[in-house]
Amino acid sequence: MYAFEFHRPTSLRQAASLLGKAEDGRLLAGGQSLLPMMKLRLASPGTVIDLGAVPGMTGIERKGRSLVIGAMTRHAEVETSPVVKEAIPALAHLVSVLGDPAVRNRGTIGGSLANNDPSADYPAACLALGATIVTNQRRIAADDFFQGVFTTALEEGEIIVKVVFPIPSRAGYEKFRHPASRFALAGVFVARRGGEIRVAVTGAGDSGVFRWHEAEEALKGRFAPKSLDGLTPSTEGMNSDIHADAAYRAHLVGVMARRAVERALRR
Amino acid sequence: MAADLQGDGLTRAEGSGRPPHPVDRGAVPRGGDGPVHVHRAYPHDSAHLHVQGAASYLDDLLEPEGTLHLAVGMSPAARGRIAAMDLAPVRAAPGVVRVVTAGDIPGRNDISPALGDETLLADTHVAFHGQAMFLVAATTRDAARRAARLGRIEIEAQEPSVTVEDAERRDERVLPDYAFGRGDVATALKAAPRMLEGRLRIGGQEHFYLEGQAALAIPGEDGAILVHSSTQHPTEVQHVVARILNVPDALVTCEVRRMGGAFGGKESQATQWAALAALAARVTGRPCKLRLDRDDDFALTGKRHDFRVDYRLGFDADGRVSAYDVDFLACCGHSADLSQGVVDRTMFHADNAYFLPAARVASRRLKTNTVSNTAFRGFGGPQGMLAIEKAMDDVARLTGRDPLDVRLANLYAPGRDETPFGMKVEETDTLRAIMEGLERSSGYRERRAQVDAFNAGGGWLRRGLALTPVKFGISFTLTHLNQAGALVHVYTDGSVQLNHGGTEMGQGLYRKVAQVVAEEFGIGLERVRITATTTDKVPNTSPTAASAGSDLNGMAAKVAASTIRARMAGIAAALWGVDEEAVRFRDGMVAAGAESMTFADLARACHQQRVHLSATGFYRTPNITWDRASATGRPFFYFAYGAACAEVLVDTLTGENRVTRVDILHDVGASLNPAIDIGQIEGGFVQGMGWLTTEELVYAPDGRLLTHAPATYKIPVSSDVPADFRVELFPNSARQDTIYRSKAVGEPPVMLANSVFCAIADALASLDPGRPVPLDAPATPEAILNAALALGGGR
Ligand SMILES: Cc1cc2nc3c(=O)[nH]c(=O)nc-3n(C[C@H](O)[C@H](O)[C@H](O)COP(=O)(O)OP(=O)(O)OC[C@H]3O[C@@H](n4cnc5c(N)ncnc54)[C@H](O)[C@@H]3O)c2cc1C
Repeated sequence: MYAFEFHRPTSLRQAASLLGKAEDGRLLAGGQSLLPMMKLRLASPGTVIDLGAVPGMTGIERKGRSLVIGAMTRHAEVETSPVVKEAIPALAHLVSVLGDPAVRNRGTIGGSLANNDPSADYPAACLALGATIVTNQRRIAADDFFQGVFTTALEEGEIIVKVVFPIPSRAGYEKFRHPASRFALAGVFVARRGGEIRVAVTGAGDSGVFRWHEAEEALKGRFAPKSLDGLTPSTEGMNSDIHADAAYRAHLVGVMARRAVERALRR
Repeated sequence: MAADLQGDGLTRAEGSGRPPHPVDRGAVPRGGDGPVHVHRAYPHDSAHLHVQGAASYLDDLLEPEGTLHLAVGMSPAARGRIAAMDLAPVRAAPGVVRVVTAGDIPGRNDISPALGDETLLADTHVAFHGQAMFLVAATTRDAARRAARLGRIEIEAQEPSVTVEDAERRDERVLPDYAFGRGDVATALKAAPRMLEGRLRIGGQEHFYLEGQAALAIPGEDGAILVHSSTQHPTEVQHVVARILNVPDALVTCEVRRMGGAFGGKESQATQWAALAALAARVTGRPCKLRLDRDDDFALTGKRHDFRVDYRLGFDADGRVSAYDVDFLACCGHSADLSQGVVDRTMFHADNAYFLPAARVASRRLKTNTVSNTAFRGFGGPQGMLAIEKAMDDVARLTGRDPLDVRLANLYAPGRDETPFGMKVEETDTLRAIMEGLERSSGYRERRAQVDAFNAGGGWLRRGLALTPVKFGISFTLTHLNQAGALVHVYTDGSVQLNHGGTEMGQGLYRKVAQVVAEEFGIGLERVRITATTTDKVPNTSPTAASAGSDLNGMAAKVAASTIRARMAGIAAALWGVDEEAVRFRDGMVAAGAESMTFADLARACHQQRVHLSATGFYRTPNITWDRASATGRPFFYFAYGAACAEVLVDTLTGENRVTRVDILHDVGASLNPAIDIGQIEGGFVQGMGWLTTEELVYAPDGRLLTHAPATYKIPVSSDVPADFRVELFPNSARQDTIYRSKAVGEPPVMLANSVFCAIADALASLDPGRPVPLDAPATPEAILNAALALGGGR
């Protein structure tokens, strides 16, 4: 490693002010993305601001027809939370197939969303569930939040505080994992709330998580795997790399979408 | 109580926790005159050290004062002329003591095992991406690695050859084409009732030894040098270091106590790092250490050869083969390295276990601008065998017969027992007994019915089942390598030191050879001290390879020990006035009739009588000849046999798959050590399974290797090992006079994993039963899905 300044603020306001003042500051949550990036020199912040001691940023709560998860809540807590299992079991399932136990015990939802890795799982859930990302400055709809590979709507100095998920009537997530990295080669989250159906795809698109509108339309007729038969997104806009080519990814999206619907119907 | 020389007390002799099997491996010495230490399960000689983290690997050795650390400056292009190399920024970097280039080499800039076609440091041209161009010696490893990136290198780059087709287009080869065969294949193909043509692509494989390449060179007096190297071939390291430094072989000593895995990847591929360390030590006058970073290790060292195989097969309605015409096109990388022997072994195993009345087995050794592909457990054999297994499956699809029946119909049998290279298969009974034994013990027929019934349900999940044989030739096909030496000392307290030319890479060779020596002297295994392999104790050794480690070194050690034992018996006989033949060595005692004394007392008595208690032993494998030019002779001492039955579950919509059960029946003759042998069988199978399923090497068009770390290159881990995994040793005894009638075990089990590939194909075949399955290796999910789509499934 190289030298950098390290802060451990004890309030959100203090964190924000440190972030504002720092020349080249980065927030630290679980460190599961930031630290590997620093080791690889893909990031080399001069100042690291650890959110670990900021009160009020963790916890899972059901508030009426929403599920609220604090930004610093670890993946493992979401995975095992009875509240989550009751309200949005698909979310608990999503976290159970995220990374490995070490990652799940350190990584946080806020870090994952801020990072917006194109193969990350949480962005698919947020987009499909129509979540709202609440920062220290404003509320951002998921539809506006994810803006491309590793890019979000967050401004300089903005800190995610919590995420609000409207509770769907049905939801399901299916992911095809890369055998080595466990990241999604294709992951599809489907959610239905009242008449609204949303299908979000991660891992496959060349500009990060996206909504697959064609599938949403098809599911409006009938919310059943059959409605998606023969449906595969266009290979255009699909990522092609050493792990899989665009055609394979597109195919997987179709299969994962059908299975996600199946899973949503199982409950 | 005698000192325990191994430190482990051998108290866990029964520690493998496996079900009993035919070879007796009781912990207590057996009565009678039977052997005590061989045919018995002892733990690995360093097991107690491994689990405590106390076994020293090269990087754990204490570094001498003033040791410098090395890093390699690598080529930024895969093919071209070196136009300029500005190393001033490297020299100026902090901590750098010296930058070494080809110009600093006092001897020949040549690290090739034989042909003189591979440089230590590139001088005029580069031939693959990452090739070593210069070497940085610095005060820390970190400083050296940082500095190594600062070279300003200009290369007049050309389009590299990366694939078989690239090399074919350029018509570039590292070695001449070679073929052998029998009969008039063209006519036989025409005459055959049915004919099929096929093409199979087979991927390479990274060795992924857990201990990467490493070497430490320590300069001595008068130009002498001691090189610690993580190598399977200390003698080659010695020779190449002497060649590079322009000193006699006698000034160079190479030592290796153990490797953290090698798998063939340290047979010729360890030499360069040892030679670089030696060169830097010579130039700086200081000890120098080079340990490759994992990503660099991937980029710099050779791998298993990738192939394209084109074949034509003539057969009848019963699936019996009458002619096989096969072309093996091997990507050898930028230099010949060991490609002659590797691809020859592919050809020697083109038949696997099947009689081919007419055969033409041809090969091309193509030059590609990639790392120089090299030895890898199986040494070309796996590729040859996979091709014929694929062809057997094709026949089964086209005739509608069960693939196992097709295999049985073509199995070597009395009267149908000559290989395409003219060697008789002497143990056809063993081969058939293993196949039929496994067919029964695995419940193949019942499970075949279940699998077919399941697949008839038509869902997207399909099950697949396959039972495939292995017949693997044992001996180096380069006949002169089939020799070994050992050195044994008996001290006057009756303790024994053992040294031989074989290297320990985790495979348990040291333990097996120690068992042989303890057996010979009739003393406890804890009285035999195993010492590091080094060229100054046993010279002119062969690499520890070709599965021949125990066969060769066990015999050499037995010769050395029995020489000393005979001298000792002579003294005891004279003392007691009995015949030498009457003297017995057993349980730490020497006895004849009513007379007896301890082994230690006899050793002391021998010393008093001025009897030499040290001896060398030498062994050369008898009964082998091979004349490559005329393709005649008997290249192998014997064959090792085995068979595996694998069952898989395949998701035909995604290609995801799981191996649900594996049954193995494998022939190691009369096992020297069943615990170690079963470990080798399990490990070999899993490694083969990785090669054929998840391990995929991907090169960019510019020749860069894109998969160079575990995040992108997936080797099997413990959770990938089949949950239901049943391994049995076939009760057997070698027909040839091998060491205690055991058979080699290092490589053959890799090819048991062909059953996994064939089982996946079997699952896919259910999508369209009458057609050959267009599946290439590795059968990654993507490859499986593409095959499913081609068969009308996948949706
Ligand atoms: C081996 C491995 C496997 C993995 N597999 C998966 C997987 O399968 N699926 C998956 O989705 N992810 C996976 N991950 C990533 C993992 O989920 C990370 O934990 C997550 O992406 C980042 O969360 P973190 O809390 O560790 O954030 P950090 O690494 O601490 O931070 C990540 C980024 O977010 C910023 N940040 C953190 N918190 C906030 C906040 N509250 N407000 C604003 N910005 C913030 C940081 O400044 C930094 O830029 C894997 C990681 C590893 C190491």
